[in-house]
Amino acid sequence: MNVDFVLQLLLNGLILGLIYALVAMGLSLIFGVLEIVNFAHGEFYMLAAMGCYFLTAGAGFGYWGAVVAVTAVSVCVGFVLYEVLLRRLGGRDFERSILLTLGLSMVLQNGALYLWTATPRMTTTQYTYESVVLGPVQAPLVRILAVVLAVISFVSLYLVLHHTRVGKAMRGVAQNRDAALMVGIDPRVVSRLAVAVGVGLSGVAGAALAPVYSVHPLMGFAFLFKAFAIVIIGGLGNVAGAAIAAVALGILESLASGFFSLVVVDGLAFVLMILVLLVRPHGLFGGGVRV
Amino acid sequence: MRRAPALATLALAIAAALPFLIGDAYIYTLGLTICVFAVLASGLNLVYGFAGLLSLAQVAFFGIGGYGTAILVVDHGWSMGPAVLVAGVLATVAGLVVAYASLRLSRHAFAIVSLVFSLLCVIVARDWVSLTRGPMGMPGLPSPTIALPGLPPWQLSGPRDFYILLLVYAVAVLLLLYRVMRCRIGRTLLAIRQNEPLAQSMGQNPLAYRLFSIGLSAWVTGMAGGIFVFHLTIVDPSIFDFYYLETMLIMVVVGGPGSFWGVLGAAVFFSAIPDLLRFSADLRLVLYGLVLIAAVLAMPGGVAGLLRRRRLRRWREARR
Repeated sequence: MNVDFVLQLLLNGLILGLIYALVAMGLSLIFGVLEIVNFAHGEFYMLAAMGCYFLTAGAGFGYWGAVVAVTAVSVCVGFVLYEVLLRRLGGRDFERSILLTLGLSMVLQNGALYLWTATPRMTTTQYTYESVVLGPVQAPLVRILAVVLAVISFVSLYLVLHHTRVGKAMRGVAQNRDAALMVGIDPRVVSRLAVAVGVGLSGVAGAALAPVYSVHPLMGFAFLFKAFAIVIIGGLGNVAGAAIAAVALGILESLASGFFSLVVVDGLAFVLMILVLLVRPHGLFGGGVRV
Repeated sequence: MRRAPALATLALAIAAALPFLIGDAYIYTLGLTICVFAVLASGLNLVYGFAGLLSLAQVAFFGIGGYGTAILVVDHGWSMGPAVLVAGVLATVAGLVVAYASLRLSRHAFAIVSLVFSLLCVIVARDWVSLTRGPMGMPGLPSPTIALPGLPPWQLSGPRDFYILLLVYAVAVLLLLYRVMRCRIGRTLLAIRQNEPLAQSMGQNPLAYRLFSIGLSAWVTGMAGGIFVFHLTIVDPSIFDFYYLETMLIMVVVGGPGSFWGVLGAAVFFSAIPDLLRFSADLRLVLYGLVLIAAVLAMPGGVAGLLRRRRLRRWREARR
């Protein structure tokens, strides 16, 4: 076995895991604050990637321009999503929230299929053909940039959650909704912001991944599979747990892909999820769950 | 309203006999589609409407039944009857594993894990080439023969025979589900859904009842898939297409979760009308999505819930 090969797999896994983390953290944040599992989350990721493709291919945007534009639009979409749909659900009806976001996902996914067909498209930016050599391993520049974007998002999310009033309020609502109401936190403001940030994170993920993989209307659907497994492994509603589980899963998958067949790699997330549920139902990192 | 079930049964009997009078292959195909969706939607109704668990794994059970039957018949030379039964059991086992693991945490986890399981099935069907033949699927399934005691063997060929078989199957399943929903089990499930701690304090074990409902639902759904693939004569990863799941959800949500007749009516309506109107497939699902959103926001109890509320209001007004 070759050490360079394993190092390369580790690097690829780290990149993959960080992208998983972007999507999974958004999901986990929305669940923690609103008790809503956003089944349309993968479609927002897909739409962001599509948007990135059309901005770079059609409108002549550069890489950074497209990333910033797509992220900004995603945050706005999150606001609108909360105000138009999620706000009407009110409280405790968990199954209805799933049906609602599932309906939204059907509309977005099939609408995108109808408009753009299932043909995969490649996003080319000014960085597409450059790569970075790090000692024995190398990675395309767009992958490194995806990592940079992910790390920037994590750091800013951490700073917001721990060092701003509204971020602390978000964590307060996630920990105990009733107690948060009692000390005067407006759930509507907090929820709206959580959805905006969550969808915004999936926007960053879509924009960061569009130049790395091919872009097509069914991509969100496949990605959601991993994101949900990660959210369960990390503990429902536990944002930091989701991030750690995502990176771990990315690395494990990448290592597995070097030595096993494709079906093992894809099944890994599911098997780990079931194991975690059987052994530690509240997630690998415990806490953060209100049942 | 005692007459309603009798009237509905009569109407269904007439409707079920109609294809034989017309004798057209398209009508037979439409009829057997309705039969399949009646089973699928009623199975989901037992899990969601009664046990209160939003199972997104129904399409996985359907596909496992389809693949299981096809593999047993083609690779192991089984005949169709036992293969369908065993594939149904396979779906049940899958359902119980998913439900047991996720219900340890919560209903929330069950919904998520069941969806992840469905997605996993798509991937396995596509990538585990040595078992499932990969994306090309298993085409050219043999036309099955059913040996009934005392009758000559019946070789099924063409939509007419499959319509008869699926009609018999659907009626049997619907009778079974109707019995289950109306007996103590169904009432206990409703009680657990409405107030779990209260049901528990009456000595009922929610987990056992929930597992039972999922197991039964997975079994009938899986067997429906097993029969259906022989009508298609091919099984490929599209048997796990979320089209089936989304259609089931529409039927249950619009029909009225927890209402046997509401869901059955919606199943007939939503499998017949869009097909007769010949909607494009992509736009149909966009429309279904919009219907789902509208139904969730505007009428949480579905059509059956609306009717029930109207009836209650009339009853109150009559006694004022």
